[in-house]
Amino acid sequence: MNGSIQPTLLVSAALFALGAIGFLTRRNLISVILSAEMMLHGVALAMVTFGKMHGNNEGQIFTIFILTVAACEAGLALALILSLYHRTKSLDMDLWSALREDDMPSPVGHDSSAGATQPDTHPVQPTLTPAGLPIDPKTPLTPQRPNREETATHV
Amino acid sequence: MNWIQHNWALLLPLVLGACGVWLMMPGARSIRPLGGLACLGALVLGFQLVAGSRDVSGSMFLVFASATLISAVLMITSRNPVYAALWFAVVTLGVCGLFLLQSAPFLAAATIIVYAGAIIVTFLFVIMLAQQAGTSSYDTSSRQPFCASVTAFTLLGLLLITFQSAAAQQTVDGARATEVAAANKALDVQMKVETLDIHKSSRPLPSEELGQMRGLGRSLFTDYLFAVEIGGTLLLIASIGAIALAPRRAQGTL
Repeated sequence: MNGSIQPTLLVSAALFALGAIGFLTRRNLISVILSAEMMLHGVALAMVTFGKMHGNNEGQIFTIFILTVAACEAGLALALILSLYHRTKSLDMDLWSALREDDMPSPVGHDSSAGATQPDTHPVQPTLTPAGLPIDPKTPLTPQRPNREETATHV
Repeated sequence: MNWIQHNWALLLPLVLGACGVWLMMPGARSIRPLGGLACLGALVLGFQLVAGSRDVSGSMFLVFASATLISAVLMITSRNPVYAALWFAVVTLGVCGLFLLQSAPFLAAATIIVYAGAIIVTFLFVIMLAQQAGTSSYDTSSRQPFCASVTAFTLLGLLLITFQSAAAQQTVDGARATEVAAANKALDVQMKVETLDIHKSSRPLPSEELGQMRGLGRSLFTDYLFAVEIGGTLLLIASIGAIALAPRRAQGTL
């Protein structure tokens, strides 16, 4: 392995990895979206570099489309964040961990039981069958969640 | 073990960077100065990997790349989302400098306008609307920082190994190509003509430079015309969706 890496590719890969760390660890919704935008920056940089290596404009064209999609994503994400904030009055992402499937463990760690308000608990919510379980045709599709309170207590 | 000895120059900055980012993450075990030192060391060692040229463009690359990476680390580890958004603006400026060095001036201008002019300002509006009381409890803790650092830096190492082996392959192929080129020159010319015909207008003309706006526009509105139409439709639908998703004034403002 004697070939040396193109320097800009190193920067783009590092940007992608750092954005992935931010996406996975941060708990503020806005920081998560910003980290995703940073991953898009890394990809755009790699595209432009590949386009220059091949000597044509296609990499830059792809980056223009990445820019378009990033603008759409930012607008939609901010609208979503605003409506989520409207419900919980908080930007904490862990408040929404009750949206997971019932058989998954809680993603919330031990130290993160901060005193924030709970999201609106609607008494009747539509439920989906958990993936991988066979549907019993005799039971009606009514909202039944027996362990709902136990799994979501330490949110 | 032999492999580790052979590739320690690649592995050492990765391990240092993972430890540094882990130490800088907000949380109970965070030691920010030590983590910052480790990240700087990883940055310096990482730049030893690449073939840097010692002219003006090489030094400008160093400036832009280190500004980008340092502010990226500060962005993902900052405890205040307003600072995170501002560090993200610095990341955008650094990436635009790298775009300029990769002969993409139009993209640099467009990225600055779209990101620094629109996206970051909107993010700042939302942060100041939603979080007026300074840093809150969920900003001072992070979720599984060690596992995330290890995962992301493993991904980075795999990407770098791939790039390295691709570069090595390219040099080998280049050497072989010069040997073989004389033998099957006719075939090679024929193949090159065929591959050129696929996206002919994306290739800059002999009188143009790479990334010139004339060439970009020609490529965008001939080869990728359909994609441009779809992109416009996507923007329209996204704006309609954003208006539909945002909370109404009748439901009470934030």
